[in-house]
Amino acid sequence: MTQGLFHQNRSVAWFLLALALFVLLVTILSEAAGNGYLSTSFVKTLGKTLCLMLVAVAMDVVWGYTGILSLGHMAFFGLGGYMIGMWLMYARTELIIADSLRAAAIPPTPEEIRDAVGQQIFGVVGSADFPWLWIFADSLVLQLALVVLVPGLLALVFGWLAFRSRVTGVYLSILTQAMTLALSLYLFQNEAGLRGNNGLSGLQNLPGLDAVPQATLSIWFFWASAAALALGYVLFAWVVSGKMGSVIRGIRDNESRVRFLGYHVESYKLFVFTLTAVVAGIAGALYYPQAGIINPAEVAPIASIYLAVWVAIGGRGRLYGAALGAAAVSLLSSWFTGGGAPDINLGVYTVQWTDWWLVLLGLSFVAVTLLAPKGIGGLFDLLSRRHPVPLRTGDFGPDKGARRTVEGEEEK
Amino acid sequence: MLRALLTCLALLFCATSPARAQTPDLQTVLQTYAAEVADPGRQTVDTVLGALVDVGGPEVQTFLERWADRGVYQRAGDGRFFYATEAGDGYALTDPATGTDAGTASRAEMTQIRPNGGVRRVIASALVQFQLSDPDPARRIAALDAIARSPSEDQLGPLRASIEDEPDDDIRARKQRQAGMLAASFGATPEIRIEAIEALSDEIAVDVRAALNQILATRPGVATTLPQDANIARTLTPGEDMTEAAAYAQLVEAGLAQPVQGRDAIKAALTANITEGSAGGVPLGQLGSEAARARAYEALAAAGSVPPLVTEADRQAALASHVFYEEYAEPDPAITTAARAALDEIETRVLLWQGLDLGLDSLSLASIYFLAAIGLAITFGVMGVINMAHGEFIMMGAYTGFVVQQVIPDYTLSLVVALPLAFLVTFGAGVAMERLVIRWLYKRPLETLLATFGISIALQQLAKNIFGTQARPLTSPAWLDGAWILNDVAGIANIRIAIFVLALVFLALILFILKRTRIGLEVRAVTQNPGMAASMGINPDRINMLTFGLGSGIAGIAGVAIGLYAQVTSEMGASYIVQSFMTVVVGGVGNVWGTLAGAALIGVLQKGIEWVNPSNTLAAQTYMILFIILFIQFRPKGIVALKGRAAGD
Repeated sequence: MTQGLFHQNRSVAWFLLALALFVLLVTILSEAAGNGYLSTSFVKTLGKTLCLMLVAVAMDVVWGYTGILSLGHMAFFGLGGYMIGMWLMYARTELIIADSLRAAAIPPTPEEIRDAVGQQIFGVVGSADFPWLWIFADSLVLQLALVVLVPGLLALVFGWLAFRSRVTGVYLSILTQAMTLALSLYLFQNEAGLRGNNGLSGLQNLPGLDAVPQATLSIWFFWASAAALALGYVLFAWVVSGKMGSVIRGIRDNESRVRFLGYHVESYKLFVFTLTAVVAGIAGALYYPQAGIINPAEVAPIASIYLAVWVAIGGRGRLYGAALGAAAVSLLSSWFTGGGAPDINLGVYTVQWTDWWLVLLGLSFVAVTLLAPKGIGGLFDLLSRRHPVPLRTGDFGPDKGARRTVEGEEEK
Repeated sequence: MLRALLTCLALLFCATSPARAQTPDLQTVLQTYAAEVADPGRQTVDTVLGALVDVGGPEVQTFLERWADRGVYQRAGDGRFFYATEAGDGYALTDPATGTDAGTASRAEMTQIRPNGGVRRVIASALVQFQLSDPDPARRIAALDAIARSPSEDQLGPLRASIEDEPDDDIRARKQRQAGMLAASFGATPEIRIEAIEALSDEIAVDVRAALNQILATRPGVATTLPQDANIARTLTPGEDMTEAAAYAQLVEAGLAQPVQGRDAIKAALTANITEGSAGGVPLGQLGSEAARARAYEALAAAGSVPPLVTEADRQAALASHVFYEEYAEPDPAITTAARAALDEIETRVLLWQGLDLGLDSLSLASIYFLAAIGLAITFGVMGVINMAHGEFIMMGAYTGFVVQQVIPDYTLSLVVALPLAFLVTFGAGVAMERLVIRWLYKRPLETLLATFGISIALQQLAKNIFGTQARPLTSPAWLDGAWILNDVAGIANIRIAIFVLALVFLALILFILKRTRIGLEVRAVTQNPGMAASMGINPDRINMLTFGLGSGIAGIAGVAIGLYAQVTSEMGASYIVQSFMTVVVGGVGNVWGTLAGAALIGVLQKGIEWVNPSNTLAAQTYMILFIILFIQFRPKGIVALKGRAAGD
């Protein structure tokens, strides 16, 4: 199978090679290696970008290959971040509280510590009690399990409801957007138990690792993100290749025909939707400890639309395209909005990119959709100067009436 | 109280009796109480006021007003009081009793009398009695307001006395209401009060409910047995009507039980009793658990150095051996029963009115959603184009209104100009977008979504660059400012009525265009089957362009309407876009009536959920969206589903 995988997706080997070289380069240049050509914050940006690439690859599978334009995958991404954030925040606050209580004459009881932690974490939303959501927050293993389970279950339930009632196309997009909006509105409430619009903060400090400098932590997370991206890429390359890949692409191109061929379309869609949601959750769990803070605005529908934008600019239907799109747009975006781009003086008006970057992004997005539907990935076709995937593998249809490259012509 | 009552009686007497001439004149009374008048205190002012009210007449009213306003001066020479106005170096004096000119005086001679705030309030309440019969209606209303703010027993007499001569019907009705409320609280006998309370049960106003609630005010009580002589409102069972913690806290407060030692108290007691590395015989190192701390504390308690631990059993026993109740402040049960019955009756009626108010609110919200979504119902519903920039067209319309208001200062005129202008601007923008972008993507609907999203973020940022991030006001004309108020419970702002009317107008207009005009026929033909329509001589390109322009133009007008009651920001469109899509999807795509039904459903639903949980509008929106997701499970084609070929599949 593996051979078939690499045979069908020659991009996998190239992608892994490029990723390995990139990781090596960044590691050598990072502050953790001692020379500091790349600042810690830039290594964090690169690490975050790798996580975004992973979620973009997942999005490509669900949109570019299966044809479901989900506007909810950043919600799964955010949920993964929230799940790991709960443990990070709880464990670190617990250590701090235990430290401060140690000064008292009488050693603290576990209940005392838990109450004090609750006070510390939920003081900002005017509460002191742990909501039921936090029952597993003291256990890293359980929270890590939740990183996978919560987005997975949400996607499973939502997908099952949506696919079984045969909601497709644009309606499905609007429905997923509604789900995302509902989730972010829910998280915005203080009563929801995740600190309302304050979100979870201080996630960049790993509990018990105060002695390790951020430079080292950042490179660890960078490695972890790169490993996750590599594994995710291989996993999805496997999913979209072989017979299953054909069925999935068939669903994208003509769902009814695949259904009439006897495939249970809903199960395939549900599998892809849930699997990509789980990977999105994992990517989020790696992203937010590097970002340091998560709040409900990160879950808002606009984030998921941006995810679709990255994938479209990168090129749908090819995994490396989505990864490149996410990397290019998010790095460019932080370059432009971070004041990295020089202002353009037009004489009467100075274009400041912090103000005009979104205009540029929006318009270039329109341009890509209209003029270059293949996105950045299309450039690779120019390099290889041939059709990326043959129109059809194996025999063509029995007679001239069957589909041909040129209508009515005998295939050579 | 008795004195106040006597004053009232005296006043009544004065008002009706011809013996008034025999009472001493104002200046005489002032001289009798010269010290109290000159330096009025909270304690002494009552005596003076009593005497002054006895005198009565307009001159006393004037005097009280001037006195409170620090307009009264005392002459040092003879101690007489005058009104003084500055004239040259000194004062021009007026005699309070006669109102005649009393010469002038130098500054040094006169001492201004400055009653403090508390005294002025007392004077003001005495003044109420005069003001109730004042010839100026505004002052009579002010007096009634003063009574409503701080009702008291001694106002009842003067208020009743003033009803008969009241020339203004409205004010008389108000006086009667106010007198009824005063009688309910302060009537002389229980029978009078009960009668007044029963009369109040036809009312609905907030102040009447407040008056009844005040009669029904309770205070919590706790005792070993229920007191026989008290007017008990209800008895409370700990754990059901009140939390056990609250009940126990009440016991502690009444001195009937020992406070429970909480974790902190136990810890403090142990810390205070540490001896040689252990507390209560338990080594400090082992005190890291609740059980060990309890053991140590009990050892300390046995030694007598701390009060004994109140256990859960003690707590339960204390709770069980006491009865908790609420006791009316009003001792007469007949009155509280009558008040309760009256209040129940009122509250039933309030509930009905609240239902009506909720209906009005939902209707208004539904018309806003309808306005925001109607343009989308055409572009998305009829043409099947996903326009994520629809919200930005709404914003564009609102900013057009804002710019017009900068140019034309008259709000009514600027609104008249802004509405068609907003239509033109967004019509143009819609046509441009259709020509430049959307027509290339009719075969790729999902990509329309993305391309229009790109336009949406570009337009949003553009608006931010031009107009800044702060909210811009779009001021409505004065005739739209007020509200249509049915009573204290139900009412609706005029602007919302206007939006409702606008929504109706648009519904009619769209239906007319689609069903009754040539262009509407062509639009329907092109959307159902462009190829066939083209064969019939219709130019699908032109029709698509015009339809899209129409939908966008309506969004612009909706923007002006929405901007009138909400703030105009660059993000205002984004907050409506998801709701608008859901309105169209829930209502049923391709049908204007469906959009109406969708907007009505979402509006009613959102207001209904908000009413159930008024503190949390976010939760209302969350639950509403969840409901919509579930709704689409059961009716994937929306409320008004197209059938047959028109459905397009």
